[in-house]
Amino acid sequence: MTDGAAALPSDTAPESVEWQRLHPATLALAIVKLGPRTVNFLPALAAIGIAGKWIYVLPALGAFLLISLVVAWFAWLRFRFLVGSDEIVIESGVFSRQHRTIPFDRIQDVGIEQGLIARALGIAKVGFETGAGGDKKDEARLDAIGLDAAQALRTTIRAHRGDTVPAAATPTSGEDADEATASPATEDRLLFAMSPRRLLIAGLFNFSLAALAVVGAGMQLFDNLLPFDFNIFNPVDWFDLAERYGLEQWIVAHRWVAGVGALLSLLFIGFASGVLMMVLANWGFRLTREPRALRRTRGLTTRTDVALPVRRVQAAILVTGWLRKRFDWHELRLQSLARDGEKEKDHQVVPFGHLSEIDPVLGEIAIRRPDAAQPWEHSHRVIAAGGLFGALCAAAGGTIAMLLGQPLGGIGIAAGALIAAVTLFSARFHSWTDLPEMVAIRRGWLKPKTTLLPHASVQSVDLKSDFILRPLGLATLVFGVPGGSALGSHEIPAIPLATAQALRTRILAARSRA
Amino acid sequence: MTETVAVHPVDPFDAHALNAAEGLDSVDPAFSHVLRITTLFNMLPIAIGATVLDVMVVREVGGPYGLLTVLAWLLGVIAVVTFPARRAQRWGFKIGEGQLRVARGWLFRTDTIVPFVRVQHIDVGQGPVERWFGLSHLVVHTSGTHNSTVTLPGLHADLAAAMRETIRRHIQTDFA
Repeated sequence: MTDGAAALPSDTAPESVEWQRLHPATLALAIVKLGPRTVNFLPALAAIGIAGKWIYVLPALGAFLLISLVVAWFAWLRFRFLVGSDEIVIESGVFSRQHRTIPFDRIQDVGIEQGLIARALGIAKVGFETGAGGDKKDEARLDAIGLDAAQALRTTIRAHRGDTVPAAATPTSGEDADEATASPATEDRLLFAMSPRRLLIAGLFNFSLAALAVVGAGMQLFDNLLPFDFNIFNPVDWFDLAERYGLEQWIVAHRWVAGVGALLSLLFIGFASGVLMMVLANWGFRLTREPRALRRTRGLTTRTDVALPVRRVQAAILVTGWLRKRFDWHELRLQSLARDGEKEKDHQVVPFGHLSEIDPVLGEIAIRRPDAAQPWEHSHRVIAAGGLFGALCAAAGGTIAMLLGQPLGGIGIAAGALIAAVTLFSARFHSWTDLPEMVAIRRGWLKPKTTLLPHASVQSVDLKSDFILRPLGLATLVFGVPGGSALGSHEIPAIPLATAQALRTRILAARSRA
Repeated sequence: MTETVAVHPVDPFDAHALNAAEGLDSVDPAFSHVLRITTLFNMLPIAIGATVLDVMVVREVGGPYGLLTVLAWLLGVIAVVTFPARRAQRWGFKIGEGQLRVARGWLFRTDTIVPFVRVQHIDVGQGPVERWFGLSHLVVHTSGTHNSTVTLPGLHADLAAAMRETIRRHIQTDFA
């Protein structure tokens, strides 16, 4: 381990040893960020205003902006970093100084991210993934440096990590984010890309009622502000519209037309928002195979370029939907030591593709999907007990409410029945199978997920039993796997105790993956 | 593991039957005192709060004065006297064959195995109550998101240090 405190510029390699600063355009970004922060200042302004001293409002605001800018400038001045021969050193902090040394060996991945303004300015945020199981807030980052400098830095670090493969250093000279297409890269094979047509299909399957709720709420909120006084969710408005065009008589006779109109616009917004979100996130999606990593570029407004070292991949998760499964559309996510951006925990490497397209990607990370002949074992149906208990509670609550003379209690009873039915039905879809080198877990009916978990990725195994499972001779296996997944923990619920113990022994016997 | 499942059902109220059936070692008996004192510190404020509530509110509104106080103190005494010993007995561990095994709980029992090679780093900690009884707890960190820390309390301080050394010898820098 390198001692964090003792990294003097003198002991590092002589070539590029000099302290660097962030790109000056970072200050421009700071100004943009000031915008939302001015809101904090509003109460003070209001206080001045209430005191009747309006003449001070403008100077106060000016002083606030000036002070913020000076602070940002000081922070910029006091932030410097140094790229040594085998480590990167970052010094930051205006009053309390922080000195951080990150050996290249500990850097799992270098992420480059560009927001809309950053793209206009030609700068990029560089994040270093160091892989410890802890929080994201501890990650080191350079916010922000020039895009070409960022790409050069990543090339340097990658070249160091795989020093036996000199070909890894792709000649980066272009500033364009699509530089991968321009460079004569024989090493980089295209594994998967999303054509506009594919994006459209994916977006249609991405039908989203969540966005609908947002739009609906917005419509309510800005009802009076809209240039047209028309709420498409309100059938009354459709009546009004018809009235205006003299269709009133006809409409009154055919009321259902208004309902159909509202329904159609509902559907349209659902589909349109689905397509829009898919296009925004996955425009120009490219997944390429580099010598040691899978590299993904995507995004319309926020373009991201993420490299996922193949050896860091811990598990693969196939997600589909009850409807898209019929059309052989699947999504592939990879769980890795490194996280994908700020929000996502796992990496989406194929957003929407056929199994025949996914299999080659899985092949790159040495994971083979179980074939159709593979026998699957089911979890015991007792896993429905939790859901049934919830259903019982809902029904009991509803009954009590009804006995107390509240007719709305009927909703509770209906919800209880619905929950019970869904729980019982989806309990049938928990299954697992043990392959030579990995275990595969399937669950879900509305959104079936298949987890392919190599034995070697498992860091710890829990064998759980409780007062319900024990009398039935059952146990639940929970696996500790590096790198979280947005899709929950990996577990095989309610399987026979002896089977669970045997499986645990077999998995723990596997050698570490790498 | 290699241990076979007990043919006879394990008596849940026998002190060592559970761990013996699963081939586990029990933690230090003094750990029950640690749990007891911790429980005492937790229950005392609740019982006092209930008494205050009783005097200030229930008496004023003419409710069943005294009921809350008696109930709170009774439950507190039961929680302090009976449960800690049992909870301590439900902890079990086994170190060996290149892996650490930690089991806890009865109603919801969890039996965790961490291979030494998967350990990222190890902590040995000691709280003020543990110090009175010469106990420590061992915390093993893995890179998994689930079970990123596995804690084993109720170890004699020397044993905890010895276990740390054993595990440390096995940790390889697996990262490359």
